[in-house]
Amino acid sequence: MSGSGAARDAGAGGGASEAAAVAPEQRRILAMGGGGFTMEPNNPLLDDFVLSLARAPRPRILFLPTAAGDTTGQINAFYARFAGRGCVPEHLSLFRLADVERPLAEIVAEQDIVYAGGGSMRNLLAIWRAHELDTMLIEAWRRGTVLAGLSAGAMCWFEGGVTRSSGPPAPIAGLGLLPGSLTVHADGEPERLPVWLQSVRSGALPGGWALDDGVGALFAGERLERIVSSRPGAGAQRVDAIAGELVRGRLEPELLGAPPRGPATSFDEDIQELRHVHRMRARVSREERPR
Amino acid sequence: MPPPTPQIVALGGGGFSMERENPLLDDYVLSLAGRARPAVCFLPTASGDADHYVVRFYRRFSASCEASHVSLFRRDQGTGGVEENLAAHLLAQDVIYVGGGNVVSMLGAWRAHGLDGVLARAWRQGIVLCGPSAGSLCWFRDALSAFHGASRRVRGLGLLPYSNCVHYDAEPQRRAEYHRFVGDGMRPGFAAEDGVGLHFRGTRLERVVSSRRNGRAYRVEPTDGGVVVEIPLEAAYLGADAGGAALGAACAAA
Repeated sequence: MSGSGAARDAGAGGGASEAAAVAPEQRRILAMGGGGFTMEPNNPLLDDFVLSLARAPRPRILFLPTAAGDTTGQINAFYARFAGRGCVPEHLSLFRLADVERPLAEIVAEQDIVYAGGGSMRNLLAIWRAHELDTMLIEAWRRGTVLAGLSAGAMCWFEGGVTRSSGPPAPIAGLGLLPGSLTVHADGEPERLPVWLQSVRSGALPGGWALDDGVGALFAGERLERIVSSRPGAGAQRVDAIAGELVRGRLEPELLGAPPRGPATSFDEDIQELRHVHRMRARVSREERPR
Repeated sequence: MPPPTPQIVALGGGGFSMERENPLLDDYVLSLAGRARPAVCFLPTASGDADHYVVRFYRRFSASCEASHVSLFRRDQGTGGVEENLAAHLLAQDVIYVGGGNVVSMLGAWRAHGLDGVLARAWRQGIVLCGPSAGSLCWFRDALSAFHGASRRVRGLGLLPYSNCVHYDAEPQRRAEYHRFVGDGMRPGFAAEDGVGLHFRGTRLERVVSSRRNGRAYRVEPTDGGVVVEIPLEAAYLGADAGGAALGAACAAA
């Protein structure tokens, strides 16, 4: 895979980096199709798995709520989840930099884990680039900082994904640290998957992975190492276009533990409601569309 | 019909978000719309589309205007913002009001959604553009952004071919930093204190208005000898005893 070499080479040769680059297989990224503290307030399995990926006994974990516009809700949920979990949580708001006293590069460089939240992938990438945070994150990954994220914060690490940043789902390019494309919420937002499949078939996006809510794909270097899940029944698939035809294969995740007791899905009620509204609207606009 | 005149009111600080009890600057902007009930659209991008900011906007403008807002973070989430054709909506406004926050993040998001081109078009059409802080800096070619560590030169949309410095009175080092940047080659420009608006017609500074009796603005430029000087600009107080609102109305009719 060489299509995204430019992104992967960015930051190479920068003499300023204090720590040396680690071997490629020690560069870890956990991409989640949904889940974690913003979506599963009662289920910490994926977030505990994120923490387990760091080598430090008490890892420093930095939350980037950029894709949502740094909403207080996401930031509070982050601290509520990670406080008291044997780590040092911190967040970075690119909209409220007045509160930040140190250079961004210094803050990013000292982290063991960087966790990107969901929201608008288009805004996420544009704002990271405006602050040159994209190159800092690539550099951190090369030095062994674990990158994690869900939804927009997961797709951003790949060559491309499917975003709703402008309303209807549409393909979008990512940072290209990982080869292939990713689509998220494959079960929770069913309108996204057909757009991705069509994009892969047409060649607008390279082949890649579709992840359900609660599913995480762990990469070692550019290689998919494990697929894990916070709830039974959630799945993943690998899809490629071969001679214009889609070849799909289901991947069975490892369940990370017994999910907490309660309803079958522990997803946040607000998210459930929002998705219901989306589906209703999609139906309405289909019915209204003239033939 | 005469060709529309592009207008920008760049606030050094102030307006509904910073001066809750003082409506003068916002009223001045509305007076430029030349319409009894103007259409005003709020762009809270620089705050990350903060809910509390959007609420304050509606509280201030919905009684007297056709108020709306555009969220670039929640475009499809049914939060009441404009969702379909952003360009068509923005180009149908009388006033586009840009909120404060982080100018670098805002410009990045605007460019990603193509709003930079839309706003330039809106300006040429005669839609009044305004805002405090980041909502001022963005219209200029060069902006002094000083919200994070060292001051930084940021390239704005460039509708106004000058540099700009806001909150000029808020921090003592702000003035020295701006002078240093202009001395080092940043283009000459305008500095405004909190509560002061720079009103441009086309690219020409038409008036300096203030919601405070002692509000000040300056033209900052290098001399031949390389020394940077600041030239105080006369600011018209918009308060009751100054007839400022009447002047604003006259301006709109001109």
